[in-house]
Amino acid sequence: MNNTWLLYIAFAAVLVFVGLYCLLSMRNLIKLFIGIEVISKGISLAFVATGFAKKNILVAQALAVTFIVIEVSVVATALAIIINTYRHTRSLDIRKLAKLKG
Amino acid sequence: MIVEIALLCGLVLFSVAAIIFRDLLKAAICLAVASLLLGIIFFRMKAPYIGAFEISVVAGLITVLFITTIALTKTGGDVRESKAASWIFPLVFVVFLVLDFFVMRGLIGKIPALEATPEQGTFGEVLWKIRTFDLVGQIGVIFAGVLAVLALFRKRDKDE
Repeated sequence: MNNTWLLYIAFAAVLVFVGLYCLLSMRNLIKLFIGIEVISKGISLAFVATGFAKKNILVAQALAVTFIVIEVSVVATALAIIINTYRHTRSLDIRKLAKLKG
Repeated sequence: MIVEIALLCGLVLFSVAAIIFRDLLKAAICLAVASLLLGIIFFRMKAPYIGAFEISVVAGLITVLFITTIALTKTGGDVRESKAASWIFPLVFVVFLVLDFFVMRGLIGKIPALEATPEQGTFGEVLWKIRTFDLVGQIGVIFAGVLAVLALFRKRDKDE
């Protein structure tokens, strides 16, 4: 069972890495949020896999449900901010945000 | 086990595709497919509630939110990404995969077995009785999200 857990954790680590790379290298605001989504997939996979390995799948599911609710709220708020930013700058380029004043 | 590995590989492939594609619509659809595969993995781990939640909320709702945002910001979508970043990615990705493989292989047999304590009851009982505080937090987070979106989209007064 421990080897199965390590397999899931290895894939979760790959997902977190891919998301972090996206966050560090991309400039499009929506792409950055896709990166955050990929990271959150890795985290929820790690949560549920650990619950599965410990035979505590019910608690793991309850925690993952909480995690997804928070994720949805964050995404809704962030996408609203992105739309407002687009109305201000007419671009989705994150570098343009560095020029905002006040 | 082979099915699980195939599903996990598909999950990683579609996640990578989501960040590689320049077209945002294709990227959002790849992300939805990745969520779908993750939901199937959860079902196979005997976690049906979170599997259904993942497919309906993450693959459904969040994809709709993404596509709406992409449609509303269509003309500004052509941001020039760094070319170096897209060239370096395959190299860095392969290096990370190799490192990940060797680290995990080194850990086999070294981590003490996780203490397995089979739980009793149903998912509803665990959620309502043991994790009651989480539910209160979730309600707070949902209200905070709704208020934030309302505040961001409020109509401006004429003198603003």
